[in-house]
Amino acid sequence: MDFSQLVPNPSESTDDTVMIRASTWTPEQQIARLLSLCEAQMESALSESDVAVQELVKSFAGLIEAGQALGSMSEKAPEAGATDMAAQLDALKKQTAAAIVAFQFYDKLTQRLGHVRYSLSALAMFVCDGAKTGERDQWRRMFATLRRLYRTEEERQLFRMMVEGASAEEAREHIQQSTLTLRAAPTGEIEIF
Amino acid sequence: MSGSASQNSRVILAVDDSASMRQMVRFTLESAGYRVVQAVDGIEALDYAKTSAVDLVLTDVNMPRMDGITLVRELRGLSTYKFTPMLVLTTESGQDTKQRGKQAGATGWIVKPFSPEQLLSTIARVL
Repeated sequence: MDFSQLVPNPSESTDDTVMIRASTWTPEQQIARLLSLCEAQMESALSESDVAVQELVKSFAGLIEAGQALGSMSEKAPEAGATDMAAQLDALKKQTAAAIVAFQFYDKLTQRLGHVRYSLSALAMFVCDGAKTGERDQWRRMFATLRRLYRTEEERQLFRMMVEGASAEEAREHIQQSTLTLRAAPTGEIEIF
Repeated sequence: MSGSASQNSRVILAVDDSASMRQMVRFTLESAGYRVVQAVDGIEALDYAKTSAVDLVLTDVNMPRMDGITLVRELRGLSTYKFTPMLVLTTESGQDTKQRGKQAGATGWIVKPFSPEQLLSTIARVL
């Protein structure tokens, strides 16, 4: 995997409050916190994909059903089935649109897991450098680098929570809440400048 | 680079390094009659745009070789693309990145995942 495109832009702003709190932990605590963060990010991403897969199954089941209904109707007299045919085609269109939204979560999952992989890789290299792990400023830089890596809103929220000291249980509750929100409104925002 | 023909004369350049995303965009736009040209990154899109006219650019942000914001900035620098609508379609929702896109000359910002209906109505609004 080419990690170079994942490396964040250093000109982007940083959240100093979060970094100050993180810098008061011991090296061992930093390692545990970062690993917990990675685990929570992966769990969140997988939870998202579960929602998408369920939607895919539902959508395709609907498509099959609609296809079968259209097939049956075509065997009847055209004048008798014209209205029903239009309704079935409309249902087919709606199921296809839902499937298109759900498919996009695969792309998002791939992206998020890529970020987690980069995080784990960066952490592994970091902890191998004894000179760095004893320096609070080096840890601050490490967290700043990883914070800029996470680009989706969900990734950022989880990062903030975990770095600020949330427990695994709190993170799990947050993920469950986010999943409910996702079910209610699966698509992203649109802004015209 | 790959394209598709349709009855609509409007051409949309869809740029994304993810093949599945390009497919979803293509399904959606072709269903509305647009002709879709696909590019895998900013470099390929820029090369195409320099030699062929497109009516709208729909681009991802994070891509290898050239990102979407750089692509928008480069295209805005060409006289033929000064007024062409350019929409960014990305998972990035941060204000900093959005501001960089706006400053580069993007027309709008769509956070993935998109719904086909919303994408088509947004495109119709800016075309």
